[in-house]
Amino acid sequence: MRGADYVIKRVAFAVVTIAVALMINFALFRLAPGDAVANLSRVPHATPETRLALRREFGLDKSRGTQFVLYLKQLAHGNLGISFANQQPVSSNLTAAVKNTVPMVLLGTIFAIVFGTFTGVIAAWRRGTAVEGVSVTTALGFYSMPTHWLGLMLVILFAGTLPTGGLTNEFLINPSFMTHLRDLAAHITLPALTLGLVLFGEYTLIVRSAMLETLGEDYILTARAKGLSPWTIVRKHALRNAMLPVATLVALSLGYIVAGAILVETVFSWPGIGRAVYDAVLQRDYPMLQGAFLLLTISVVVCNLLADLLYFKLDPRITE
Amino acid sequence: MTPLLEIEDLNVWFDLQDGGELHAVQGVSLSLEAGERLGLVGESGCGKTTTALAVLGLLPPTASASGRVLFEGKDLLAEGEASVRPHRWVDIAIVFQGAMNALNPVRTIGSQIVEALELHDRAQGAAARARAGELLESVGIPASRGQRFPHELSGGMRQRAAIAMALSCNPKVLIADEPTTALDVMVQAQILELLDALCRDFGLALILVTHDLPVVAQLCGLGAVMYAGEIVERGTVDSLYHEPRHPYTRLLFAATPDLDDTDRPIASIPGAPPRLDRPLEGCPFRPRCDSAFAACDARPALSPVAEGHAAACHLNDRAAVVPA
Amino acid sequence: MSVVIHEPGAVAEPEATAARGGVVWRAIRRRPSATLGLVVLGLLAAAALLAPWIAPYGLHEQVGPVFGRPSASHPLGLDDGGIDMVTLLMWGAQISLLVGFAATAFSMLIGGTVGILAGYFGGKVDVILMRITDYFLVIPDVPLMIVVAAIWGPSLSHIIIVIGILLWTSTARVLRAQVKSVRERTYVKRARALGAGHARIVLRHVLPQVAPLLIANTVLTVAVAIFDETALSFLGLGDPSRISLGKVIENAFQRAAISAGAWWAIVPPGALVAVIILSCSLIGGALEDALNPRLRVAHLGARSFRLRPLVGRSSEAL
Repeated sequence: MRGADYVIKRVAFAVVTIAVALMINFALFRLAPGDAVANLSRVPHATPETRLALRREFGLDKSRGTQFVLYLKQLAHGNLGISFANQQPVSSNLTAAVKNTVPMVLLGTIFAIVFGTFTGVIAAWRRGTAVEGVSVTTALGFYSMPTHWLGLMLVILFAGTLPTGGLTNEFLINPSFMTHLRDLAAHITLPALTLGLVLFGEYTLIVRSAMLETLGEDYILTARAKGLSPWTIVRKHALRNAMLPVATLVALSLGYIVAGAILVETVFSWPGIGRAVYDAVLQRDYPMLQGAFLLLTISVVVCNLLADLLYFKLDPRITE
Repeated sequence: MTPLLEIEDLNVWFDLQDGGELHAVQGVSLSLEAGERLGLVGESGCGKTTTALAVLGLLPPTASASGRVLFEGKDLLAEGEASVRPHRWVDIAIVFQGAMNALNPVRTIGSQIVEALELHDRAQGAAARARAGELLESVGIPASRGQRFPHELSGGMRQRAAIAMALSCNPKVLIADEPTTALDVMVQAQILELLDALCRDFGLALILVTHDLPVVAQLCGLGAVMYAGEIVERGTVDSLYHEPRHPYTRLLFAATPDLDDTDRPIASIPGAPPRLDRPLEGCPFRPRCDSAFAACDARPALSPVAEGHAAACHLNDRAAVVPA
Repeated sequence: MSVVIHEPGAVAEPEATAARGGVVWRAIRRRPSATLGLVVLGLLAAAALLAPWIAPYGLHEQVGPVFGRPSASHPLGLDDGGIDMVTLLMWGAQISLLVGFAATAFSMLIGGTVGILAGYFGGKVDVILMRITDYFLVIPDVPLMIVVAAIWGPSLSHIIIVIGILLWTSTARVLRAQVKSVRERTYVKRARALGAGHARIVLRHVLPQVAPLLIANTVLTVAVAIFDETALSFLGLGDPSRISLGKVIENAFQRAAISAGAWWAIVPPGALVAVIILSCSLIGGALEDALNPRLRVAHLGARSFRLRPLVGRSSEAL
């Protein structure tokens, strides 16, 4: 298989990064000022005996090294601990949260990719004209807006027309499937749109840049010399090549999507993973924080790995 | 007889970022009969590549042009892109410097040749693929290599593939822009031989753009020397070499190392070519010329100095022979 | 016959540092958008710096009702504490810009050092440093910032350090690439051959060459730093004792400005942040373009080359 060692190297790197993330994750929360148990005092009616029992359960009475091993063992079993806030396993909390975040982020990202590519290509194509100026300015504008502020602006604009908070309308009792679906769709619109607009700005700029770079390559001149029409050249030669760096950059921007999701979910009270992180911070719910952070880190590493492999598959030049 | 290709007073300007213009090609006129081979020489930036590209209208959006390019009597530039596109590849084809990027790196060699064949209705589908294989074989590449990507081929083979692609639609004129510059000496010789054979076998007219004089000597009968965007001398390669009538031509040939005459010191021409973003006064070569005199304050015109030989130098006005 | 023989490749030392500074100026001047960005940024920074003296009202001075509407004396209305918005914006800008620049300075220090060391020494040093950079790159910034800020406690210096720790990676990468290419240049090799020490070479030869790119990267980093500060404040992790623009937005959000219909408490502070980020992006972008010029012109576009009417030989013999 072509470049099997390339794939292996990238996977190995991802694995090592995850290991490093695990260690950081562990260290971060153990190094918290004040013992984790001190925060357990937020658990109502915690008697000294309870505290001691909790200490033992969380292994906080053992050495750091043993704690780390314990931590890893628990991880291997998918045990991320118990949330302080709702006494549920962190893993199930996170699963529920992820199920809410993914559709919203996916919608926003697809919106951004579709419109960003369209605008970026047009801007590169009409270089030096007003169209390019407007596209670039608009893109820069959206890119410069703080995500949460844009969300708030949309709330101001659409309050009354579209729901601005939560996942569903809680006042709907036993809705039919279609009503439920429509309700969800209405609720997902603004958060996804917010995320989508900010990303749209970034992607437009990336696509335009990649497209301009590609249009300056020699093989475009060759294609022109062969007598191909300009639009055919764009379709069959330029786009394909320009999308290579774009694919990678999109995957790499997933780290920012995660950040954006946190802000968006806070503004729109969207019960997703970003919101979970935020609530966990407020409530000093360390197990949740630790679990969420780990999940986010692993997903970014995995996405980066996928981006690498995607690029590898698309570009025949990469062989090592 | 109408020349096959005639360039009449071609001028090309490029817009510059700060609002000015670069006058890259200044009043170039050339003519080429069927089967003739012309070498267009000059140092980097003299406008030879731009001239070659302008023949096919391959100028960027930031360029503007004036003049006529007559192919079999028809002005290709009459309506800009629209009037020149129908002639691309089928009448006039071009081969670029075979650097990595002259061919699309993410498509196979074969598919790019097939694209040309199908676009110009020479063949379709499987027939096109077969024809592409034949073309590759004719330039010395095994047909199976058509499935490869450009980066999998050596520089020399890429260049051969580019030549095969250029000939796929049986053009009458081939333009080769620095075809051997990026190649090492052994491969250079092979490519030149290939070009020689193909042009002979198919009766192609050739415009060879290069800064490498021995290449011109090997391949071409006619030559034109460009400096600062204009032609300063043109004639047969023999007369350019033995009886140069422009100091630049003389110095250019003198600057080429000669294996047979190893005692001759290597000369170089001091100074640098003039900037083309401002109008020039007087002869553009004057600052670097070793024979400049009072008349050179005025810009010389390209005028005949012998049968089929013209030069733009005031020294010829005195009909004095320039010392070799 | 005159024949002149020249030394092959006589290399000129590039212009002195002063002229390199000129590169930055010229790049900005050439692009009207970048000039505009610089002017706007300058004005905002000046207003923010002079806030204590030119703010129309006191920062903690209640001059009207909660979420008072905009009026002639208060063009941007009042916030949730009855404080004049314009005043808030000026003071807020001060803190936001302070955090932005300080965090950037911190990250520049780390990133610059890592990048220069990696690029200059190459080899094992390079590999190790780049591995570390890669790990940092992969860890999602905002969650990490949130976690660290939450654990460490909100204070201005903590925020600055937290932001700075995550922003240095792009600087390191960009600088490393540039240093690597500078290192190969003739005059650097010549200096090495003459026995100049590493520190001297880096300071005298490498640094001036990479300075413009460093500046471009700095400006762009400031934009990100300010965004990060806004995000952290919004999530309640900013320094509670200082008002930054992010905090203004957060306050408004927490006190239900939207339901009260007080858009003036939310729109202006965010717009101001957007303008600051936009200005930085324009300046940084212009610099980057100027320093890494797209050497190739696009061969293709919606327009095609233009035709001019036939002219005679433009310069006939005079």
